[in-house]
Amino acid sequence: MAIGSSPAGTWEGTYTRTVRLVERSAEVGVLRAALGDARDGDGSAVAITGESGVGKSSLVDALAAETVGMRVLRAHCDPLDTPRPLGPFRDLRLPDGADGPTRGDTPLSELCDLVYESVRREPTLLVVEDLHWVDAATVDVLRFLARRVGSMPLLLVVTYRDDEIGPRHSARPLLGDLASLDGVVQLALAPLSVDAVRELVSGTHLEAERVHAVTGGNPFFVAEVAKDPDRPLPGSVRDAVLAHTADVTDHDFEVLQLVAAAPDRLDDRALPHLGVDLPTLRRLQETALLTRTADGLVFRHELARQAIESTIPPGGGSELHARLLDALQAIEPSDPAVLTHHAVAARDHARATSYARRAAEDASAAGSHSEAAAFFEIALEHLESSDPEERARLLLDLAYQQYMTSRLSEAISNVRATFRLWEQAKDQAGLADAHAAVALFEYYNAHRARAEHHSDSAARIALDAATPHTYGAARATQGFLAYLRNDLEQARELAAEARDLAERNDLGLLGLRSEVVATVSDLVSGDEAARTRLLTQLEAARDRGWDELASTVYSQVASLDVEHGRLRDAEQLLQVSIPFASQRDIPICRHWQTGVRARLQFQRGRWEAALEDAATVIGDEGMPLATLWPRLVSVLVPLRRGERAELGILDDAWSLAEQIDEPLRRLSVLGALAEAAWMTGRSDPRVSEYAVAQLAVLGSCPGAEWGAGHVGAWLRRLGLPVPEVARAAEPYRLVDEGRVAEAARWWRRLGDPFAEATAWTDSAVPEDRARGIRLLDSIGAVGTADRHRVALRQEGSVVVPQRPRESTRANPAGLTNRQLEVARLVARGLSNSEIAAELFISPKTADHHVSAVLTKLGVPHRRAVVVDSARFGLT
Amino acid sequence: MQRFIIEREIPNAKDLTQDQLVEIARTSNAAVESLGVPYVWAVSYVAGDRIYCIHDAVDGEAILEHARRGGFPANKVTPVVAEFGPQTATA
Repeated sequence: MAIGSSPAGTWEGTYTRTVRLVERSAEVGVLRAALGDARDGDGSAVAITGESGVGKSSLVDALAAETVGMRVLRAHCDPLDTPRPLGPFRDLRLPDGADGPTRGDTPLSELCDLVYESVRREPTLLVVEDLHWVDAATVDVLRFLARRVGSMPLLLVVTYRDDEIGPRHSARPLLGDLASLDGVVQLALAPLSVDAVRELVSGTHLEAERVHAVTGGNPFFVAEVAKDPDRPLPGSVRDAVLAHTADVTDHDFEVLQLVAAAPDRLDDRALPHLGVDLPTLRRLQETALLTRTADGLVFRHELARQAIESTIPPGGGSELHARLLDALQAIEPSDPAVLTHHAVAARDHARATSYARRAAEDASAAGSHSEAAAFFEIALEHLESSDPEERARLLLDLAYQQYMTSRLSEAISNVRATFRLWEQAKDQAGLADAHAAVALFEYYNAHRARAEHHSDSAARIALDAATPHTYGAARATQGFLAYLRNDLEQARELAAEARDLAERNDLGLLGLRSEVVATVSDLVSGDEAARTRLLTQLEAARDRGWDELASTVYSQVASLDVEHGRLRDAEQLLQVSIPFASQRDIPICRHWQTGVRARLQFQRGRWEAALEDAATVIGDEGMPLATLWPRLVSVLVPLRRGERAELGILDDAWSLAEQIDEPLRRLSVLGALAEAAWMTGRSDPRVSEYAVAQLAVLGSCPGAEWGAGHVGAWLRRLGLPVPEVARAAEPYRLVDEGRVAEAARWWRRLGDPFAEATAWTDSAVPEDRARGIRLLDSIGAVGTADRHRVALRQEGSVVVPQRPRESTRANPAGLTNRQLEVARLVARGLSNSEIAAELFISPKTADHHVSAVLTKLGVPHRRAVVVDSARFGLT
Repeated sequence: MQRFIIEREIPNAKDLTQDQLVEIARTSNAAVESLGVPYVWAVSYVAGDRIYCIHDAVDGEAILEHARRGGFPANKVTPVVAEFGPQTATA
């Protein structure tokens, strides 16, 4: 006879919850159905919400008991002050084939793949409880799974207390996804009714109405009361829990307090160090407060833990935490996140700093940057050393994590705080590095002048300090900034100098970076072959694992593609680059490229998709630099569609452009201001004076042909004097020469239907203008079309097209990004199940998307999408 | 006291070094000592991907508790019902 199959064995049985499930039959029904579907390969997600003690876990227990033939994976988030990065997934101990269970520093992308591979092979119920304590990296993994859940035999269940998740909580993005995804069910658990309470207290002399009044119908509280029906009714959950400890000795009670002080779990291996023997555990079993996980001792319920924790006298906690710390650090492998928690609570500053630093490094390696930042903050807060260099390094580490989590202002002020420290330490190389770091942060924060100042300082200091690596990096940054302000000669000179340095000192990354700076300078000045060279450099960077450089190349090429009308190329690039930035955990590039896509979709006349991206970028509060085009898009789309637009946003964009102070950025905003002036009829001195005066200067910059052509076209429509622009891009030149049909063909080839329409409306021939108006109507730009209708009528023309009725305005402009993806696959002739496989969604969801696409495109069947794919801009 | 055979699955157990065995023995001894109940670790055999342990304890729960405290797997715990050897033939 075998007694147990694992150490988790026998105790489970003796500690099994005695809570009965009442008044949850509707919820059980929903979960049961979802479980059945998941077993058949049609996965879904369920969010169970409600207050503490309302029975979320009990409901999951009931569900887990029904999973015949399915694997059950259950994990909890733990209530440490700073959660363990990926704690729930690490606790699951999924084997990864090569190295055994996942370790603390398994990178996020690997873990996503690992979990994905694991759950799609085998029907699985995956439960992650207590999301109100979740870490940011676990949220990323859950989002990854939630988006694909429809294509897997997986029921994903998450539980949380919804009143504890505020707008800036790590779990927010996941809840947003869950709210918008098809096939996600929310189960909000309500407290019990009097009748349900009566059922639970039946067989005792307790009066259901009184118990209901005292407990508010909280099932945990009711169950605690029902366990001890002969005692006076407790006034609170705490009293109810503590009532079970009335007969516990002081020695044993202290063990309860120790467990309460270890909110994740008290690791079994710490018990010998803590002097807790088996007879003690057996006695505590009588209280029914504790249970055992696979490897530790925990409270059966968080409310019970809190009740015991509340009995620890003020000041008594630090002694308990010090004992836990001593016991836990003797265990290998120890978890620095847990040790940090206890060291902080024990007020042990030296160990708090050293464990927090280790926890931060693990978190960073795992891609969990918000937790990494939190741990570096703890390390700094407890740092006792007076060594300026040590403090400066921690500050720089913290700043980098803040940069990775789009907290640029904090990152900048933390790097600045190191300047004084490096000087104290007489460390010029460190000082130069700090200036180089802050230069980039300032640029992303849209302060180009400050960025230049710091990159100049970095170069100067590094030259004095004779550190070629830092000096070269600073020169490359200076070159990059010069390229951005279209000072290409200087950009190339600086890049060449950095490249020489890189070659002499064998610095591969710097060498490639310098080449990129030189090549983007070539591309912006119109050398289209430079694009191929950049893509080769990009591949080289990817091959060598220089992900940030690769992602930067994507960012620049995509941005210049859109700027220069290579819209289809940009589209292809962004389809690869945005997932790359997400997978390689480079949020700043993802943010930027989503902003570029907002502009791209805008120029392709896909208003809904453009607005969606714009809102994402503006809402992300990452780097201000990325928000310029999204701001323009969020005003111009409603203007073009004849909806209410918040014109004030253009003022913000203008201030931002002034701060960034780059020709291409200024031209973008001037174009938008001019269009808004034309649409609203309001005069704007930034257009009538500044643009008129500066266009010739701005337009003479290399690479400004398209931006300047665009502004010139709007000035002309406004009847303003148009300064001679050295070179306007081809389609603008064609309109100037009155060759509107050729210009319209150009725009059609590029895939910019709005510009195509406005080429026609720029014509002097009324029939051409009527054609332009119909085109504007067909892409939903009725606001712009209406302005032309008014003008054309005023001129007495008889060919003014009627405003279309609402119902006939079906066109690709209304497709969201997801629907666009689906539409492209439909256009390629894929079936619903092929689309489902391609997008990791269930065939049912694919079916919904395809129906929505057909409705929005106003076509009766999918064949029409294939036939008309060019007209819909899907090729 | 009851004698038990405990099978512990440890991939590549056969490659454990002497130093590692010393470390494991120390951990196990500390776990035994901390239990607060009668408990004897008699001997263990390393073979392939498994370690086979002979322990004497009052019950199986103590065996599992020892494993938890040592951080050892206990994939199969079986009470020994009889012991015999060459001498049994002449008994």
